[in-house]
Amino acid sequence: MLTLMSLLLFLLVLTNLTLLGSSRLAFCIRTVALQGVVLGLIPLVGLQPLSLQHGLLSLTAIVLKGGVFPWLLLRSLRVARVKREVEPFIGFNVSLSIGFFALISSVVFASKLPFGGNKDSLIIALALFTMITGLLLLISRRKALSMVLGYLVLENGIYGLGAVVADHIPMVVEFGVLLDVWVAVFGMGIAVYQINREFDHTDVDRLTELRG
Amino acid sequence: MSGVLILFLLIPLVGIAALFFVQRGSVMFMLSLGAVLLDAFCLLVGISGLPTCLPMQTAGGWLYLDHLSAWHLLVMLLVFTAGSLFAPGYFRDDLGSGRLSLTAARRYNQLWLGSLWTMTLTLLANNIGLMWVGMEATTLVTAFLVSIYPKPAAIEAMWKYLIICSVGIAFAFIGTLLVAASLPTTGEGSQQLFWTQLSVAGGYNLLLLKAAFIFSLVGFGTKAGLAPTHTWLPDAHSQAPGPVSAMFSGFMLNAALYCIMRHGAIVNHALGSDQFTSRLYIIFGLVSIIVPAAFILYQHDIKRLLAYSSVEHLGIITLGLGLGPAGCFAALLHTLNHSMGKSLSFFAAGRLGQLYGSHEMGRIRGALHSAPLWGIALACGLLALIGAAPFSIFISEYLLVKAAIDRGAIFVLVIFLFGISVIFVAVLRHLMPMVWGEGRNLPEKYRSASSIMVVCVLLGLLLFFGLYLPASIQVFLTRAAALIGGLP
Repeated sequence: MLTLMSLLLFLLVLTNLTLLGSSRLAFCIRTVALQGVVLGLIPLVGLQPLSLQHGLLSLTAIVLKGGVFPWLLLRSLRVARVKREVEPFIGFNVSLSIGFFALISSVVFASKLPFGGNKDSLIIALALFTMITGLLLLISRRKALSMVLGYLVLENGIYGLGAVVADHIPMVVEFGVLLDVWVAVFGMGIAVYQINREFDHTDVDRLTELRG
Repeated sequence: MSGVLILFLLIPLVGIAALFFVQRGSVMFMLSLGAVLLDAFCLLVGISGLPTCLPMQTAGGWLYLDHLSAWHLLVMLLVFTAGSLFAPGYFRDDLGSGRLSLTAARRYNQLWLGSLWTMTLTLLANNIGLMWVGMEATTLVTAFLVSIYPKPAAIEAMWKYLIICSVGIAFAFIGTLLVAASLPTTGEGSQQLFWTQLSVAGGYNLLLLKAAFIFSLVGFGTKAGLAPTHTWLPDAHSQAPGPVSAMFSGFMLNAALYCIMRHGAIVNHALGSDQFTSRLYIIFGLVSIIVPAAFILYQHDIKRLLAYSSVEHLGIITLGLGLGPAGCFAALLHTLNHSMGKSLSFFAAGRLGQLYGSHEMGRIRGALHSAPLWGIALACGLLALIGAAPFSIFISEYLLVKAAIDRGAIFVLVIFLFGISVIFVAVLRHLMPMVWGEGRNLPEKYRSASSIMVVCVLLGLLLFFGLYLPASIQVFLTRAAALIGGLP
């Protein structure tokens, strides 16, 4: 059991670092999908005892994040005809360095948090790291689709945090949250399509009609 | 009696479904107006019995209505009713000329009722997680109302709105998680995150709860347009069609602030004093009053001016929340007053923008002469918003000043007065030539009965509450204020 958990956590770190360092958007979309699946599996492997409801929730999360989201995003990627993130505001190497630093800080920070003894502080640390990665992607990238990915990674981190620190959030709410995220990704996909149609590009830094 | 809560959620859904079968634009607008009116009717019928039967809950405690949410429900339905009455006149030309296609008109009305539904869910949800779900859903539903006319600028505004608010609200969810984590036991689940439980429970981990409140304040504050995370607001408000801008300013921001009030009440209860929350409320409030003052001074677009004015007024409400029970009373009264004044101004700005073909204040001249109805509406709306005397915003700001003096918060008071004086002068300077200047002869083609009614009712209410505050409303508001700032 322990080894499977370590493998999942290792994959979580790896997906985050991969996202920070790679420019090909299709590859990034698949990486985020893998990350969603990994985070969906963590409660199944790690949290005892497992109820039917939790299982159902994890399964829904895995199907949505591993199947539906990448399908939606790859579609809008095709429509927008972009392949790569070119010249992000923070370069890939710098992003990676910040990522390593954030990873270490999260581990140190999480060990000091007052979440009771039985909570797994390593999972909390990696959830924090995932959230920071998401925020970093949101502020450092140029393409609209990268920002959607950043939002998804942030959401993944929050999902991981929720699985550990707040295991008594009722099912209705959990499903409501998943539904909201799904609609958000759907809406952002449409938005990318509309931006591309009206502006002929999807560079968010060139959206400068509105000022003051 | 409590079944009425389910009706509030059911009526908009039925309306949305019915819209699929309507094939004429004007009928669609009538239908959504009908649904909103039916909702309002339910509230008014319910409210006659409210003082005795509040708080009430239904659906196993998941839906809950107390004085605080009932007050917000009232403000929400007033704004939606006004918006639904105004919309047919606003869209009539575009529907006729085909600039607004039938599909777009249907989508507009469905999203309009969808926004009503999500905001109702936010207000009625007893579980703070469900409240969050409702609030996030408002972003997703209303984003496409901004770009109902798919111009580049509107799409840019929609994109910024969607991303900034989604990320902001995601932060608020961390707040919700931390509230759950700060609870002492992890026993029987489903009731634990009910606000009714949280506001009486004990044994919190106070450090986590304080962190939770900061996340909620920043997260929901982004959606409420509090500075410095208000940057999406002027874009979205200025690009959205008139009725939508009014609904954004008039209620959506307040819905987000309502979520903050709920979280604040939990923290106040757990800490046994309101010192922690009030300090944060005051800081956020003052920043949100000062920042927009600068932007209003040098503004040239009427709708952006109104948007910045919303940041200011939400700041005033937040400031009120930090000034004890009397301040909370003033804040809640201000919620209603601001929503009325802002809806009226946005309606006027929207129609004048259509008539003059631009929202540039430099090109709107002599509105009183060219389009008397909307000229009067704009003049009175803006005068009300800057707190001129006979209108009701003057009263709530006066109450706020009084609350600040009673609490001895003189420094806060000075900054507040400085901010609103700058805005007073700046808005007056913009307002004069727009309304009284030399007018062009614009043939105002029509003045629908419903728009005259909207202007008269909103103006009447602004004047009425400015001159007289009925005792029943005072009692009601005192009880609502006690829920959020009720510590002696």
